[in-house]
Amino acid sequence: MTLKEKIANGKFVVCGELGPPQSSNGGLIRKKVEYFRGLADGVNITDNQTAIVRMSSIAAAKIILDEGLEPIIQVTCRDRNRLAIQGDLLGAAALGIENVLCLTGDHQRFGDQPEAKGVFDLDSVQLIATARVMTEGYLLSGHKMKESPRFFIGGAANPFAEPFDMRILRLAKKIAAGAQFIQTQPVFDLEIFHRWMEAIRVQGLHERVAIIAGIMPVKSVKALLHMQAEVPGVRIDRQYIDRLQTAPDPQEEGIKIAVEIIKELKTITGLKGVHLMPVMWESIFPRIVEEAGLASQGPKETSS
Amino acid sequence: MAENDVSFDFITYEKKPFTPAFRRFSRFSLFFEDLVKVPLFRCQHCGECLLSHTAYICSQRCPKRLRNGPCGGTGQGGSCEVYPERKCVWNRIFRRSRFLGRLIFLKDIEKAHNWNLEKTSAWLNVFSGRIEAPTFFAGKKGKKS
Repeated sequence: MTLKEKIANGKFVVCGELGPPQSSNGGLIRKKVEYFRGLADGVNITDNQTAIVRMSSIAAAKIILDEGLEPIIQVTCRDRNRLAIQGDLLGAAALGIENVLCLTGDHQRFGDQPEAKGVFDLDSVQLIATARVMTEGYLLSGHKMKESPRFFIGGAANPFAEPFDMRILRLAKKIAAGAQFIQTQPVFDLEIFHRWMEAIRVQGLHERVAIIAGIMPVKSVKALLHMQAEVPGVRIDRQYIDRLQTAPDPQEEGIKIAVEIIKELKTITGLKGVHLMPVMWESIFPRIVEEAGLASQGPKETSS
Repeated sequence: MAENDVSFDFITYEKKPFTPAFRRFSRFSLFFEDLVKVPLFRCQHCGECLLSHTAYICSQRCPKRLRNGPCGGTGQGGSCEVYPERKCVWNRIFRRSRFLGRLIFLKDIEKAHNWNLEKTSAWLNVFSGRIEAPTFFAGKKGKKS
């Protein structure tokens, strides 16, 4: 079953996130894939995350696809113009990659090569519309394709950045443009997230799109404080910082917090799944999924 | 529903060629346009003016030149993610739109920017039918949809 079918069938999906290596080492991806096998319904492959050069997300996704897992490729507008993006999307479709997460992309100023030219030819809403136009059989030029790709198109949403009301408006725009699933930024403030979901339910948007909440397990209070200070658009509830600070074993506490957040999220109506993004800590994925009770179907049943 | 036409509308560009004479006239027109738009709005010369949709704050001052709303990186207090000392231009657009009752314009999906129009006169582009005319009053627009 594909991710799209699982969501349609009402399964509470679990996605993982895998950052391709900063080298041509494909073996590393095959090694990391083992953490997700049988547990993740989709594995996000980042596209030059935080503007740091990494292996192409489509190439890495192909490796994962060959391993028998379902990749979700991220496509950002920072590095490519509309010609390259359409070409790459066609290539991805030819390789059998269906899930596409359309993002604007972090500004190149945050990366290791800030002197690079940012492209930003399209923005994320336009990228979603582009992918949808392609599934309808057209290129942006108006050329009718002989065979059109099939995509499950996703977008991102950040419930925690100002202006809050504009976020809902933009989410509605993304849905109108053709987004079929939405992945959010990591949840560290449940109060704001509840309010955001409430606003979505009022407009009935949760019925038109599958909302998948982001979860980020952290190892130490330092990582959390770094996120708050350096990563834009992240909001962290004070209690989590205090808990990590006072905990005798911050790593265990970090896992506990992640599991706690997932358990609370599972009770929210309209939420279709969670997206775990353990940055540089993929090995923790199986444990969190197990402890949060998301592996109910059992790893043996779903593995190939 | 109008929303469903969005993706198709997305690919229909006005493909009007630029003649050398038009370009020359455009440069002439741009001079006068700049006298107004640069001091008032810090115009970035995208040639596809969105000012009437963005409550008269130029959205192209965004470092990512987004045309459809803010990216996910707006900091607390509405600062820009790229230059934290600046205010996010989309945050300002949202606040002013709400104040002026022009939120309806922010709900439209803006087409991908036609970079062919970069550094041409938006006024002339309106008169020659290359881009849509600005909508000054929100009321009219509200009735249409």
